[in-house]
Amino acid sequence: MKKLAAYLLSALLVAGIFSGCGQSNQPRPSESPSSPVQNAKISFTDDDGRQIALEKPCERIISLYSAHTENLYSLGAGDKIIGAQDTSTYPPEAAFLDHYDYDADPEKIIAADPDCVLIRPFITRKVPDFVKALENAGLTVVSLYPETFEGFDGYIEKLAMLTGAEDTAKEKLAQFHANLNAISDMTAGIAEKQTVFFESTEVNLRTVTPDSMPGLAIKMAGGENAAPDVQPISEGGTIAAFGAERILALADDIDVYVSQRGAMNAGGDLHSITIRPGFDTIKAVKDSRVYVINEKLISSPTFRFDKGVRELARYLYPEQMDSLVQYQTDTPATKRGLANLLVRAAHLPVYVPSSSKYYTQEHAGHIYGLFEDVTWQDQDFDFIETAAVSGAVGWEADGEKQYFRPDAPVTREMLAKAVFILYEFEAKDQHIAIGDLDRCEKPRIIQTLVDNGVFPLIDGRFEPDKVMSCREVAETLAKLTPLTEQTAAA
Amino acid sequence: MKRLLNILMASTLCVSILSACGGAAPESSSSAGSESAESASSEIASSSLPAESQPEGTPAEQTEVKKGDPDKKAILVVSFGTSYNDSREATIGAIEKEIASAFPEYQVRRAFTSQIIIDKLKSRDNLEIDNVKQAMERLIDEGVGTLICQPTHVMHGLEYDDMVKEVNAYADHFETLKFGEPLLSSTQDYRDVVAAINQEFTVPDDTALVLMGHGTEHFANNTYAALAYYFSHNNPNILVGTVEGFPDLETTVKDVKELGVKKVILTPLMVVAGDHANNDMAGDEEGSWKTVFKSEGYEVEPVLKGLGEYQSIRDIYVAHVAEAIKSEETK
Repeated sequence: MKKLAAYLLSALLVAGIFSGCGQSNQPRPSESPSSPVQNAKISFTDDDGRQIALEKPCERIISLYSAHTENLYSLGAGDKIIGAQDTSTYPPEAAFLDHYDYDADPEKIIAADPDCVLIRPFITRKVPDFVKALENAGLTVVSLYPETFEGFDGYIEKLAMLTGAEDTAKEKLAQFHANLNAISDMTAGIAEKQTVFFESTEVNLRTVTPDSMPGLAIKMAGGENAAPDVQPISEGGTIAAFGAERILALADDIDVYVSQRGAMNAGGDLHSITIRPGFDTIKAVKDSRVYVINEKLISSPTFRFDKGVRELARYLYPEQMDSLVQYQTDTPATKRGLANLLVRAAHLPVYVPSSSKYYTQEHAGHIYGLFEDVTWQDQDFDFIETAAVSGAVGWEADGEKQYFRPDAPVTREMLAKAVFILYEFEAKDQHIAIGDLDRCEKPRIIQTLVDNGVFPLIDGRFEPDKVMSCREVAETLAKLTPLTEQTAAA
Repeated sequence: MKRLLNILMASTLCVSILSACGGAAPESSSSAGSESAESASSEIASSSLPAESQPEGTPAEQTEVKKGDPDKKAILVVSFGTSYNDSREATIGAIEKEIASAFPEYQVRRAFTSQIIIDKLKSRDNLEIDNVKQAMERLIDEGVGTLICQPTHVMHGLEYDDMVKEVNAYADHFETLKFGEPLLSSTQDYRDVVAAINQEFTVPDDTALVLMGHGTEHFANNTYAALAYYFSHNNPNILVGTVEGFPDLETTVKDVKELGVKKVILTPLMVVAGDHANNDMAGDEEGSWKTVFKSEGYEVEPVLKGLGEYQSIRDIYVAHVAEAIKSEETK
């Protein structure tokens, strides 16, 4: 299995990205307070202009901004967080931290006795008295937020200083930029560029400035921004006015219409974009190339931004980004490999929960991020989660615990169920006789796929339990037409 | 009602009862609400109550409610609300517009019942939408005396009951207050909805059309069974299921299996194609109706269109307003 995993990994066109999400990011042992690196004096000016001077790294942090929480986990400092705002839901374990809020009584935070409260300038502007109350109680308050993408590294370095994670930060930042460069290099070679309009808010149909994170993402993903000459609504901001009239004036030029959705910003969803008066004249809407992306991936200053850029590039150039050419091997396929192959072949956007209430809601199936045997640091986390959450690939429950079993082999029936969920097939009136249909768990699915020529029979039988090789899986998927073009704008 | 009011007014004891109702305003934490209740009571106190009848230490109390001008007419269109902006205008907005053009002598106002949605739209999009209480107080401040409340709800469920209760708390401020019926009320409504669905969807023999309603613990959940019964005598391939009530998804899957069809069309039995339609029904996740039907081997086609997007459905709401205007007073 290791061999297959290694093969899949090296085969990826943008290999750097995936290894960056995984192997270099194994949970590291927390550094003990006595380790020498932590005795260095910490000194910098935060983004509210405070002088921060600490003798040693923080051990009891309360984070009031989800990006801080996420980045601390990425730096291996998750164990130094004692609480966070309830919008912190990535990595999944952050959702289970104690909750603190800047809209609540500061006493709750004071009583928890943190050695650092991480905020951002937005909080200082919104609730200055709350911030003063924390400072008056003698707490160390650190306010950070990179206004521009250029400020990201400096921001991460400050988080790293606060937690004694400078070495990890260096590695992670190097990997992050390498991943982004790999995508830029790859998309640079694409001759026919896609023109993208980015909708940041549904209200007044605003877009983003070209130097904002989504603006840069379009560039790195190889897109041409349909709105390159816009000014921010507020000085230093990234949201820019645009409006329906100007969008419609570009109707023939917009190849792909991207809308970001999330708690802070809300562009339209697929249905709402397609029903807007006049929007049926937009090329992207006509061609069903409307893409809704989670703002956490594309607008938030976190290490997941490279995933956002990768996802955008996959949507713009699916053939180049999701190639299956490299999977031609006779090694037995595993569920890990299947998840990778399915997500690429079907051009599925990787799944990210859209609501900060995700972990407090009821779920009928698998809960994102809670597999015991595939953690968020796993190199294939996005692909496995996407395959599982979509219902395409099954998983096992053991009491409250959920297991994906990434090393389990792929059977013919397992692949049949997956492709039936992810693609469209017409049920035929005339059936091909299948000798062992009664041995199949989902006979209706098997019959339809055999009738449609997706699975050849083996001596008149389907053989549901027969294990498949990587090549067989890839070849089966290569026969199918991804739905992306057909389902958008349905 | 007037007679009752007179009797009550005659008794000093009852003054305090009335005041306990907060000048006919229901309890609320909203500051706008308490302000207008206060100003209403002080206005009336100066003209009607002798000072000595007031219990010591309590402010001047309200004994008679000033009614609005019956010639100032309004229709308050009350909806649950949605944070999907374009869908909102294509459904709730379109219903409001058509009501406005059908009844030009009435002003048309919007209120939502979901405070969560109102708050979300305020903080996210800076959109101000009244809740029922705010809308009622605004109408009273403007001296509206003839009011028709038309819900865009599908049925007489919890939301409808709450809306009626909230509006009725202000009943004494109006010369005329009437309620329009939700979508599914009379026998004719069921027939009209069945006809509308048949007009909008072509359902071949090998296909089932599943209408996904919300479902409720309220006894009005019967509405779904009643509608399903109409369909069973009209087009048995049209089924009704609910997200939170009965028939649930499991039952609906069973019903579809019995039809022996190949394909399932899913569409919301909801005025707006919002979160339930996008996620519970058509979502790409494991537990969604789409995925569950697919995993049973059906071809699935979700139609993400709220009922309010159909002209034939909007016509029913407009007709309900007309019926309310013609009807005897219902407050």
